[in-house]
Amino acid sequence: MSQRGHTLDDSWYLDYATGALAEEAYRTLLASHVELSGEARERVAALERVGAALLQSAEAAPGTLGFDAETIMARDDSADRGSEPQEAIDRAKHPASDDLPFPSALQEFLDRRRQSVRWGYLGPGLRKAILWRGETGERLWLLRAQPGMSIPHHGHKGAELTLVLKGSFWDADQQYRPGDVEEAYPGVEHDIRIDSDGECICLALTEGRLRFENPLLQAFQLFTGL
Amino acid sequence: MTQFTERAGTASEASLLASRLERIGRQRDREAFRELFDRFAPRIRAFLASRGVAPAVADDLTQEVMLTIWRRAESYDRSKAAASTWIFTIARNRHIDHYRKNQRARALDEDDPQLQPDPAPAADRLVEQSQDAGRVARALSELPADQRDIIELAFSRGWSHSEIAENLALPLGTVKSRIRLAMARLKMSLGEWS
Repeated sequence: MSQRGHTLDDSWYLDYATGALAEEAYRTLLASHVELSGEARERVAALERVGAALLQSAEAAPGTLGFDAETIMARDDSADRGSEPQEAIDRAKHPASDDLPFPSALQEFLDRRRQSVRWGYLGPGLRKAILWRGETGERLWLLRAQPGMSIPHHGHKGAELTLVLKGSFWDADQQYRPGDVEEAYPGVEHDIRIDSDGECICLALTEGRLRFENPLLQAFQLFTGL
Repeated sequence: MTQFTERAGTASEASLLASRLERIGRQRDREAFRELFDRFAPRIRAFLASRGVAPAVADDLTQEVMLTIWRRAESYDRSKAAASTWIFTIARNRHIDHYRKNQRARALDEDDPQLQPDPAPAADRLVEQSQDAGRVARALSELPADQRDIIELAFSRGWSHSEIAENLALPLGTVKSRIRLAMARLKMSLGEWS
């Protein structure tokens, strides 16, 4: 099933808020969406309030803790805190590539992995950059498309989440703008057209290989790694 | 009338917790930290244990969460979140880090009955909680049981919606629609989100 909207099904926000969605690439996409979409932010904030209420209702296990507040403060006093400034140093060494409009969750993902964005050819007017590949074929990738370009009719073997970072695209009569996510499932076929107003950059998480109808494009897929 | 009293209590308790965090952040106030520790450390430990974290590990993670609170209190901003929500997200994130490191080991342990966590807390018991927790708990307790169970299991066990479907032997679509209904109701009863 597919939710034709600009936000995800609530089950995604729940898994994100509880922490059950632990995979770094998925959390990066969700956190980027939450940064950019007020509606997503509200839902996650509400669920985190629920989490806080349930945390406070957790019944403390019988028996006392083997440590107290003094233990923690003493640990801090004795620890050399060299690891924290290091993060700031790394950040400075890996500035956002080409001044792209990256949400901080995505920039931090790249920083942690000491990774820069390498764009490759995907098709006329289309470039892609693979950021991460999972063990079961999932990948987190960026799509950068020139105004007015189309992505040919295709289906999916798995779920695909596409978050707009810059510009906008249309799928049939729905427009997706920065912060919006399109959620596609196996069996959902779509035709994507980039808005003619400007370049569009999207962050996508694709679970199965794309399925193009056109055999030439199927061959082309082997090249592009999508 | 009752409503008003409860809300006043709610607001003052939430703001007391926020002030403690601010005192830690600005002045490294040790007394404020002791108070927060007494309130939260045992609960964070119990929360992690309910998610199937082994006792010794739960101790370590709780220490790390408390250390993060002590070190990062400076970055707490009361206009963005309640103190309890800020603390919840630290505990959750620490659990995620731990989970990532142990992904494979955990998969092996799941069927061990000895490691099954205690049942989730009943929402009606939560109603007694003070501050924002009270309002949220009341909203939870007003949910139909089949919706409430899913939300509680998701937080207390740390199960994803598909793990919940599996464990309760429910179709995935049923779990998703209960989550949707629960969130719509929570939105109504909590009024403005956040």
